[in-house]
Amino acid sequence: MYQLFTTPQWFNGFDLVFESLGLIIALLIATYSWRIYKISKENKFAYFSLAFIMVAFSLLSKSVAHAILYFGPVRENVAGVLAPALGNNLQFADLFYRGTFFLQMASMLGAWLLIFFVSQKSRERLKRYHEVSQIALFVYLILLVSIIANFKYFVFYLTSAVILGMAVLNYYKNYLNNRRNKNAFRVMVAFMFILFSNITLVFVFMFSGFYVVGEVLLLLGFLLLLYTYVKVVR
Amino acid sequence: MATGRRSRLELVFDILLAIQNKGGKIKPTHLMYKSNLSHKLLSQYMEELINKELIMMEEFQVKKRKTPSKVVVITDKGLGFLEEFRRIREFTDAFGL
Repeated sequence: MYQLFTTPQWFNGFDLVFESLGLIIALLIATYSWRIYKISKENKFAYFSLAFIMVAFSLLSKSVAHAILYFGPVRENVAGVLAPALGNNLQFADLFYRGTFFLQMASMLGAWLLIFFVSQKSRERLKRYHEVSQIALFVYLILLVSIIANFKYFVFYLTSAVILGMAVLNYYKNYLNNRRNKNAFRVMVAFMFILFSNITLVFVFMFSGFYVVGEVLLLLGFLLLLYTYVKVVR
Repeated sequence: MATGRRSRLELVFDILLAIQNKGGKIKPTHLMYKSNLSHKLLSQYMEELINKELIMMEEFQVKKRKTPSKVVVITDKGLGFLEEFRRIREFTDAFGL
């Protein structure tokens, strides 16, 4: 069976729980941002909402692929559901896993890029034609990276880390511009956790235990985002 | 002091806040100064806020004047929105939006 990298056996399933939590948190933020968009009609909120929907979709794609990889019964159930359409001899070919990993990577990279663009302090961000056309170039690069990362997985985490690094810088500037607002600080630290998670995951090829560290850091990042969200919205 | 152009949401917030800070009632001219908006722009926003029932106009008679004076009053819905706006502002500040 196709796998991006080897993960510790004892951790199988825990990562699915972590990702499900991340998915719920991402959807909460996306929903609230969409609500603001409905009130304000400002595009940046729609883009921010879209970014977190893409994060949720990415986590869902990863969970589905990993659930099928880890658990035989899930694999059999999915084969049963797809049987009428694809026949009884369905095999979970490499193509299936590559497809889901591609969706995971493309949507996650797209989400981080969108968050980076939205967090830029430009008055006309994502409004002018040339900015939107730049995004088209980035979309192409993201798709390219996602395809290559299916063969060299660390390309994905490396690219993610670079984009997240730039987003963290924006959040640091935002923290300073907002008179050291505590919530802005929490958001910056949350994205730093997600950044460190991605950096750790680059090195899973050296030691599979890094996968656990990376997943825990990712969870901490999302939990801190949840804490900030609750602090703001309550 | 805030710098740069205010967004639509911030303008609505400033208008409602100016009314609330004056005890829930304010004269239109005072509102214009407090919210730092032109007469034309304030009229546009007020029309929208009245349609959304966030504010309403009240008339009262003043001695020595033939025509009644007008005040802008914030409604309960407007006060609820002000709270929501505060949360939205916290959200936008936190996420750098």
